[in-house]
Amino acid sequence: MIDFKMSKTLFVLLAISSLFISFNDANKNAAKSTVKIIFVNKINNSRIVLNDSMYTNPFKEKYTVSKLRYYISNVFFKNASDTFPENNSYHLIDQSKDESQSFSFNVPEGRYNSLHFLLGVDSLHNVSGAQTDALDAANDMFWTWNSGYVMAKMEGNSPASTVMNNKYEFHIGGFSGQYNVLKEVVFNFPPATEVFKAHKTYTFVIDADINAWWQNQHDIKIADHPVITTPGINAKNISDNYANMFHLEKVIEE
Amino acid sequence: MFIVSSAFLLEAGKRSTVDFYVNAITPLKLEIPAGWPEPPSNIFTNNPLTEEGFQLGRKLFYDGRLSKDGNFACASCHQQFAAFSTYDHDLSHGFHDQFTTRNALPLFNLAWKKTYHWDGGVNHIEVQALSPMTAPNEMAENIDSVLLKLRKEFAYARMFKSAFGSTMINSQRMLKAIAQFVGSMVSANSKYDKVKRGEDSFNRAEAHGYELFKAHCANCHKEPLFTDESYRNNGLALNDYLKDYGRMRITGDPADSLKFIVPSLRNVSVTFPYMHDGRLYSLYKVVDHYRTGIVQSATLDSSLRKPFNITDAERDELVYFLHTLKDTAFLNNKRFSQP
Repeated sequence: MIDFKMSKTLFVLLAISSLFISFNDANKNAAKSTVKIIFVNKINNSRIVLNDSMYTNPFKEKYTVSKLRYYISNVFFKNASDTFPENNSYHLIDQSKDESQSFSFNVPEGRYNSLHFLLGVDSLHNVSGAQTDALDAANDMFWTWNSGYVMAKMEGNSPASTVMNNKYEFHIGGFSGQYNVLKEVVFNFPPATEVFKAHKTYTFVIDADINAWWQNQHDIKIADHPVITTPGINAKNISDNYANMFHLEKVIEE
Repeated sequence: MFIVSSAFLLEAGKRSTVDFYVNAITPLKLEIPAGWPEPPSNIFTNNPLTEEGFQLGRKLFYDGRLSKDGNFACASCHQQFAAFSTYDHDLSHGFHDQFTTRNALPLFNLAWKKTYHWDGGVNHIEVQALSPMTAPNEMAENIDSVLLKLRKEFAYARMFKSAFGSTMINSQRMLKAIAQFVGSMVSANSKYDKVKRGEDSFNRAEAHGYELFKAHCANCHKEPLFTDESYRNNGLALNDYLKDYGRMRITGDPADSLKFIVPSLRNVSVTFPYMHDGRLYSLYKVVDHYRTGIVQSATLDSSLRKPFNITDAERDELVYFLHTLKDTAFLNNKRFSQP
């Protein structure tokens, strides 16, 4: 049993503080804009169709995509003086699940200079034990033998692959040291373009060119590297490549 | 006035819930044995240890539903009478008559560890269980399938509710409960501990063995935990079949080739066979390895470059001492046995 007197004091305090919190919230809510961020995964300018479509990489290697997932985390907008983060900002973009490819949150109305996010899961959440939601181990994006998240995963088949059933498999991870694959992505807005008005929604359509995985900083041919599933130099090289895959296609005001 | 009265209303609405919560959750505290260091980090910081969480973890630990065919509970390779290692097996058995690739480590004093597994590949106690559960040669299951099985059991709905406040069963709750159970296992009541506390005394052979231990072994098998939690190459030849390079698999660094975690020697007399692949069947063989069996290599630990120069009689005394690290109270502790 808890002491009655103690609990009375506690609840009075709780009630007072929750009043303050709600006043505070009301003030903030008065001038919010909604931002929605959509990721569109493409190869050679067409939306990816899993399994059935054959694509060609920069080395003229043909390939299909059966699985494509990557983490987007720590999303925030920045103006001249401050940052405006999304709370609990962890998203697993999964090509097989349409609903996973967009998310929304609120920021105060005003002028913004840039949009930032991490491609991958920050190092802290790789060492913090069992998580839920996007970071749930049941999402099959957590290495059990070498703790840490697979930050990005692509699998499929290619006649260029020399392994069983012409598979290729990229599980890209590693959150510390020289082979850290975490990539911060920044979109700087041209001066005076992004002014968010209150009660309006701003949809950021971000295209991801998946063919960037093969070539950008480093040449990755399927024939040479059909399987990259451990942290190391090859995973690091792919992450250097895919760090540049995003392109801010447009911003829609509604 | 409005605030005060609404607070009373709030309280009236909440009272039963508060009482339920207080009655349901029984906090536990991990006791640090006298003279032991504080754990390097508190494994229960984001997983408050409770009797209800512990008991749920205990049930899960002994439940074959966590494996694909129902035959392999955690406890099938972690047997209490063997200090939660696999008794008398170099490699344990897993799904479909397969061998594991390493000797099952015993489970105790895990709250003092920084990493888990022979190669330190697991960085948090909560995520350790994922590894045996999903390994195709161990429990061979996938997490979603385990959760579906657990959700069918009324007993689990009740136990998840009392441990975590609602009947929701997810991977995080399951893993945190298992972590509460195995993280609570503390072995600190061996004859050695009693001698240290002044409640018992070594016989002459044990006492001499302890002196030899301090001179030759304690640098790595550091008291009172009997490990310094470092990774070292202790001069074992590479097994050509297993090709296990240990820590290097995790770090990718050739300097870590053939290095494995220094295991604790507590309860060592019941955890045979020894080494990461269980290749040495007795403590005598282990001491002999350090006397005459060291294989020189680039990453061999510097402390083992010179042979371990003791007589046969001294070897026996060292082994007598190692037997004093057996904690019978822990091996028989009903709190850790099958519910």
